[in-house]
Amino acid sequence: MNGAQHILEAFHRHSINTVFGYPGGCIMPLYDALVDDVGVEHVLCRHEQACALAADGYARASGKLGVCIATSGPGATNLITGVANAHRDSIPMLVITGQVPAGLIGTDAFQETDVLGMSLGIVKHSYLIDNADEIPAILEEAIELAQSGRPGPVWIDIPKDILLTDVKADTPPSPGHQTPGAVDISEAMDMLRSARKPLLYSGGGVSLAHAEDAFREFARTSGLPAVATLKGLGNAGKHNPTDMGMLGMHGSRAANRAVDECDLLLVIGARLDDRATGRLDGFAPNARMIHVDADAAEINKLRPADIALRGDLNSILAAFTAELADAPLDISNWQTQCRTWHTTSGFHAADNEEPLSPITGPAFIRQLSGIAPDDTVIACDVGQHQMWVAQYYRFDSPRHHLTSGGLGTMGFGLPAAIGAQFTDRSATVINVTGDGSFMMNAQELATIRRYNLPIKLIVLDNQCLGMVRQQQELFYDNRESQINLDDNPDFVAMARAFDIPALRIERTDQIRRGIETILAYNGPMLLHVAIAREENVWPIVKPGASNRDMIDEPRRTTAKKEQVA
Amino acid sequence: MKPQSPSSMPSYTLNCRMAHEAAALERLCQVVRIRGFRIARMSMESVDGELDIALTLEGARPIGMLQSQLEKLHTVAEVVLDGGVLQSRSA
Repeated sequence: MNGAQHILEAFHRHSINTVFGYPGGCIMPLYDALVDDVGVEHVLCRHEQACALAADGYARASGKLGVCIATSGPGATNLITGVANAHRDSIPMLVITGQVPAGLIGTDAFQETDVLGMSLGIVKHSYLIDNADEIPAILEEAIELAQSGRPGPVWIDIPKDILLTDVKADTPPSPGHQTPGAVDISEAMDMLRSARKPLLYSGGGVSLAHAEDAFREFARTSGLPAVATLKGLGNAGKHNPTDMGMLGMHGSRAANRAVDECDLLLVIGARLDDRATGRLDGFAPNARMIHVDADAAEINKLRPADIALRGDLNSILAAFTAELADAPLDISNWQTQCRTWHTTSGFHAADNEEPLSPITGPAFIRQLSGIAPDDTVIACDVGQHQMWVAQYYRFDSPRHHLTSGGLGTMGFGLPAAIGAQFTDRSATVINVTGDGSFMMNAQELATIRRYNLPIKLIVLDNQCLGMVRQQQELFYDNRESQINLDDNPDFVAMARAFDIPALRIERTDQIRRGIETILAYNGPMLLHVAIAREENVWPIVKPGASNRDMIDEPRRTTAKKEQVA
Repeated sequence: MKPQSPSSMPSYTLNCRMAHEAAALERLCQVVRIRGFRIARMSMESVDGELDIALTLEGARPIGMLQSQLEKLHTVAEVVLDGGVLQSRSA
């Protein structure tokens, strides 16, 4: 068995049955081995970046390892953005690239790049294999490493000649997951019980630890008012009455106020990202903090924790729940206060209900949330539409919300939706995108068509880079610079060119029918939604400012004052 | 923002033991740089397949943050801060 065949053998051993890739010169031995392998489905995307992002989406939606494959040189460099995206969001991923033959490394050979050197800042670990007998052990280690502790991408670069060399070494036993030791929660429980206004603040670490059920049980048992980061949306479930949604730069005033006034923050699987906290010295100024995370490097990184619990989130949350089951917290006044804030200043109503009025982003997403099935997977891109989804779509699970949180990768949504659809070909998967993001990986419409994936594509088109335009308007004296996209192609005609049916809507009274039409269609379909160019995401915290200083939509502020009066 | 001159920043010595594999030093140095430190002095010795590395570092950020990031590297076996802050040359 040669090196390439050994890779496929490792895939089988670890139940890896779907990989995303693009062939080329130095990875051809692996593609040759694939010809004789019926147990691994290889998904051919149309750009290596999309291969990595599809593997990312597959991993997020399924909780399994995502795998992507490319050749040396441009194949590997095209993967970089997708691998960096996975790294920033701690997504378990195995990356395999071919490299020029070992003897040619360092000679500026055709399609040679220093993949190991380029990978250093965007992977959990990376390898350049220089001996075929290392392949079995490195594969075992890489697959384990990508999924253990705080997950992340692991990259294996293999010279072409080594892929063709017979491997004599045996496969070592898998290193296996190391289970963290038990954590003493007694001090944290004392602090939690002594708090009058405790708040639960959760992030993407919950689903990364496969701790969704344990978290939901704890949230229900504790009754703690809960806020979430962008990646934590859905942690509390769709119907949890204490869930206040997203905090931070585009979070609700209610969520940010709860953080501002709480006296204890219980942080679960979140890293206090600047988009969530705003200016750190103004963040939760009255609160002590208990920080629970799998990664020791996140604890005390940006704000000292009063109590730090590092370990397996499942067992820590289960221990919390057991402690509270017989002796609930007495926080009814605080719960009532948070519910009131959520009712009065959470994300509930969209603005314009006039049937013939132009469509607004919030109104569209709110209706989408009401119409789509509870288990729908939404793969977002990056920009205003991403924030409207975060604000107005109610997620029942964090695995239903695929979003590029850390890196903010425009072009993420379409390939991520492809990856998610491969976890369950019958699932409802929707890519909500903007006109800027859509054009960054639009070539993947061909992948959707090739595999007949029933993905629904919703393009919220404001003919510009809306989030950049918004910040130029608010923070750069309205000096618009290079945001105009009014020469976009006809997206309906473009979809049809890929043999994907499409329709366009532009009025509020067309929203429901448009959504119902694409959801009912048995196959891929695109909905082109024209929205106003000038629409902004509200509220907003100026980058670098405190969340307390968030800016509301001007007319909404006026309306609120009238309500009070 | 004008960068602080190296001489105005605290200095530390970290001793690091890690596997001697491809790009080991590059990986270490990349983390040191991106986490806000610069290397003032570095010595390295290869012993039994491992690298013993002594780093004298300058940086304004908490050294513990760098230490915990280095400890996360898969090939790093141990990171020891030598005697805490060696000298603070703040004005």
